[in-house]
Amino acid sequence: MSLVVNRLTKRFGSVVALDDLTFEVAPGQVFGFLGANGAGKTTTMRIALGVLEADAGTVTWRGAESRRLPRSTFGYLPEERGLYPRMRVLDELVFFAGLHGLPPDRARREALAWLRRFRAEDLAGRRAEQLSKGNQQKIQFIAAVLHDPAVLLMDEPFTGLDPVNVALLREAFLELRDRGRTVVFSTHQMEVAEALCESVAIVDRGRMVVGGPIREVRRSTGRRTVRIAVAGDHRLPWLAGVPGASVISAGMDRTTVELDTGVEPDAVLAAAVAAGARVLHFEVADPSLEQVFIDHVGRPADEEVHLAPVAEGAA
Amino acid sequence: MRPGTALGNAWLVARREFSERTRSRAFVFSTLLLAGLAVVVALIPLGVRLVDQATISRVAVSSGEPGLAQEAVTTLGTFLDAPAGNGAGGGKVFDFVVYGDAGAAVQAVRDGGLVASMTVSRDAHGGLAFTVFNTGALSADRAQLLQIGAFAVGVLDWTRANPGATRPFVTPTFSVLDAGASAAGASGSVAFDAADYASRRIVGIVFVVLSFLTLVFYGLWVASGVVAEKSSRVMELLISAATAPQLVAGKILGIGLAGLAQVVLVLMPAVVALLGSGSIGDALLGPDAGTGASLSALSPGLLLAFLGYFVLGFALYASLYAAAGSLLSREEDLQTVALPLSIPAVAGYFPAVLALSGSTSWTIRLASYVPLWSPFVMLSRLAVGRVQPWELVLSVGLLALTVPLATLLAVRVYRAGVVMYGQPLTPRTFWRALRGA
Repeated sequence: MSLVVNRLTKRFGSVVALDDLTFEVAPGQVFGFLGANGAGKTTTMRIALGVLEADAGTVTWRGAESRRLPRSTFGYLPEERGLYPRMRVLDELVFFAGLHGLPPDRARREALAWLRRFRAEDLAGRRAEQLSKGNQQKIQFIAAVLHDPAVLLMDEPFTGLDPVNVALLREAFLELRDRGRTVVFSTHQMEVAEALCESVAIVDRGRMVVGGPIREVRRSTGRRTVRIAVAGDHRLPWLAGVPGASVISAGMDRTTVELDTGVEPDAVLAAAVAAGARVLHFEVADPSLEQVFIDHVGRPADEEVHLAPVAEGAA
Repeated sequence: MRPGTALGNAWLVARREFSERTRSRAFVFSTLLLAGLAVVVALIPLGVRLVDQATISRVAVSSGEPGLAQEAVTTLGTFLDAPAGNGAGGGKVFDFVVYGDAGAAVQAVRDGGLVASMTVSRDAHGGLAFTVFNTGALSADRAQLLQIGAFAVGVLDWTRANPGATRPFVTPTFSVLDAGASAAGASGSVAFDAADYASRRIVGIVFVVLSFLTLVFYGLWVASGVVAEKSSRVMELLISAATAPQLVAGKILGIGLAGLAQVVLVLMPAVVALLGSGSIGDALLGPDAGTGASLSALSPGLLLAFLGYFVLGFALYASLYAAAGSLLSREEDLQTVALPLSIPAVAGYFPAVLALSGSTSWTIRLASYVPLWSPFVMLSRLAVGRVQPWELVLSVGLLALTVPLATLLAVRVYRAGVVMYGQPLTPRTFWRALRGA
């Protein structure tokens, strides 16, 4: 039984934030929820948490409607980070764990263990207002996982973290998955999703664009990619003779060529040989998530979508 | 209470709120400041007594028996305005005027031209009966002086009428009636001891001011607490961990308890000052049995009523403040709700003050049933003591019914409001939040 988002619809005034959105997350998976800002990721998570009510549709976890489940079923890392500024970190963590039903002594033990793994034991006695943004984010992550929820909903968890902390967080994600927890995170950084997720859903303006296991999603456009390295001119002038093939990134080392649906990779290799180019490397690959996203949505994921300003922070 | 349950979570939120409030510097400073002010207020009666020494009370004397009024005026004047020995530190304190018509004299008291009107009559045994009508302007000290004077009039009247002392001396009766109440006809037969009446008014005004300040002030704490959680964005984490009813209930409870703690801390030194002011006054101004009684009206029942109305009133006002706070995004916006939300409280404050003067007009009676106002107005009416039991039941009943309704409404607005950002606080926003959109 899995986390099922079923025909979810939500309007804010005249703005449609979610339009019949449907997808499914298998338990024990790391799932990427991909879309530009304003695509409806936060709204979906808030509905799943019971913070917002859907106009239509449901979110269920193991067959039960999520808003009827105890809140401790979920751990939530909001996109907008915030803590009680004057509270000490450990007190803050114990407080939030307490709301999820964890007794204080156990919460304190678990909190200290998590702080240690994030190499942040020294933060325990500090006030939240004294922490850097990255550290605040770590504390918020700990607050979300301290009660060991079955499902983790993380809204843009990697935004604003330095590479060291990104690596720590990725490790934590994978460890949680290995412990059977379901991790759903939203992002507009496709390379992060590519590296972590077993499945993804791409949403745009509240509508599902494509979703499923990552391999299927990458093949969903029907296009394929060829990575080729030739001795000499890497701009591949002979490629002009292959209809439906275009260079999307040219490099001294490798050049990536995108093929339209129906164009066989062999045609590229044949054209190279025919032109007398010495092929050093030839690889057929699926397009990157970034390319898939652009193909489906028509623009990169980090481009802002402007919805009417009815409910900033709710869309 | 177990963590994670609805009650447990509300309690957890309340505890956090209470500890953050009471540990804040603002709390410590405001408590010290208010406690200082309360001590000053508590010493006001002493100041009034001091000022009282210098004022002259104009009192009408009338009687149905020819010559008796004039005779009483002469005796009272000689006796009470003697240069020394009247306990008031000497000097003229009364100005007695003979009035032919007792009704006209009482009317003059109501109009404010006279402090009191004294009617002298003779009972069946030949003894004198003194009835003093006043609207509360006659201080306890002076009422007591009048009683002493009345006794003197009685003695002289007895010696004059019975040179041979054939009739035994009958102690004159002396009662102070409320002229205001007689006019309203509500409970004219209620006789007030002047000292008691003054004390009731003091206690009443203290309670009314206290209720007003606490409901508005701590209500604003609730709104500012909610806005602070929104502006720091901790709300996002909070609302995913606890439900809106748990958060609203916890906040109201925590801030309510912090407020109550402050009230107790502020009042304790004031009560000590009030209790001590009698002895201080006696030391400064000479002994006087009339003082030190300022707290006599502070009955356990009234204290219970204050607590009851504080709890219910605070729950009502705090719900409104929580709802309003949830619709704001920045703490700077608090001013936009502070004024409109204080309007109902101010509107209730005025009838409450009027009620203290003993007025029982229908507008004041009505105001004492209206839930937003009853915490002030009914309290004030209770303090001066003119409330029928059914009125109290109606007032508390309506308030107790309104509180859960207001809390439900607040929770509904709060649930939608806390995830709304950057929108102007207009009736439309409120309406949308109420609909949960």
